[in-house]
Amino acid sequence: MLFLRDVGSTEVGGFGLTNPQDLLFVEDFVMVQQVCSAVTVAFDDDSVAEFFDQQIDAGRRPETFGRVWIHSHPGTSAEPSNVDEETFARVFGRSDWAVMAILARGGQTYARLQYHVGPGGSLQIPVAVDWSQPFEATDWTAWQQEYVDNVRRDGPLRGGTFDKIRTSHAVTEFLTDHEWLLQTEKGMS
Amino acid sequence: MKCMYINNDGAGFADYIEIPEGTTVAQLFAQRVPGGQPSDYLIRVNRQPAVADQVLEAGDRISFTPTKIEGACPA
Repeated sequence: MLFLRDVGSTEVGGFGLTNPQDLLFVEDFVMVQQVCSAVTVAFDDDSVAEFFDQQIDAGRRPETFGRVWIHSHPGTSAEPSNVDEETFARVFGRSDWAVMAILARGGQTYARLQYHVGPGGSLQIPVAVDWSQPFEATDWTAWQQEYVDNVRRDGPLRGGTFDKIRTSHAVTEFLTDHEWLLQTEKGMS
Repeated sequence: MKCMYINNDGAGFADYIEIPEGTTVAQLFAQRVPGGQPSDYLIRVNRQPAVADQVLEAGDRISFTPTKIEGACPA
């Protein structure tokens, strides 16, 4: 998630895959196709549906892949916006429980658990990395490819040459945003 | 007849259900998501978008998945 937050200049989002024995322990972060800008992220509806089908085919239960919604924020604040709150209420408001987690570029985190069983309620929960659990090795190439495959940039730089240049360098070369912009300008001229 | 049904509401559901022959997508939605707005869901049958009056058949796979999942940083 840290890598995907920082690899481009856009917000990113996805779902947390959690441990069936511990539904608040996120073991993996999976992106779906999305249109992003520096300050927004919007998932593609078909891609979300396909994600659900794939997870079911993989033998997972909805409570382990469709309840922890994670996205990034630019800047230093991880506080949810009105758009975040509206999505959380509308999309996850009918689930027994769900978590909205936000990771700001500056490092601040926010996570809130809401539940609709019994009297219902909502509480902020702490976020931490559990280093005692096993984890796979770093794979920047695959992670960057995941970003390239799923993120379509919104706004004036969206699509066309910009995306092609980004894609052409995706696997072999890591570009900073500044380098990317320079190459894009060169490619467009 | 039996159909596969996937939904994230409530406790979440991904299993076979028994429904009467001739059940339409709209009828199943009304039954399974009472009070829900169809526009808040992408409704698919066998991984293809479905229309409200589509009649379900035995073995169909029906999913109601959320739409318009959007985030933004505070203004």
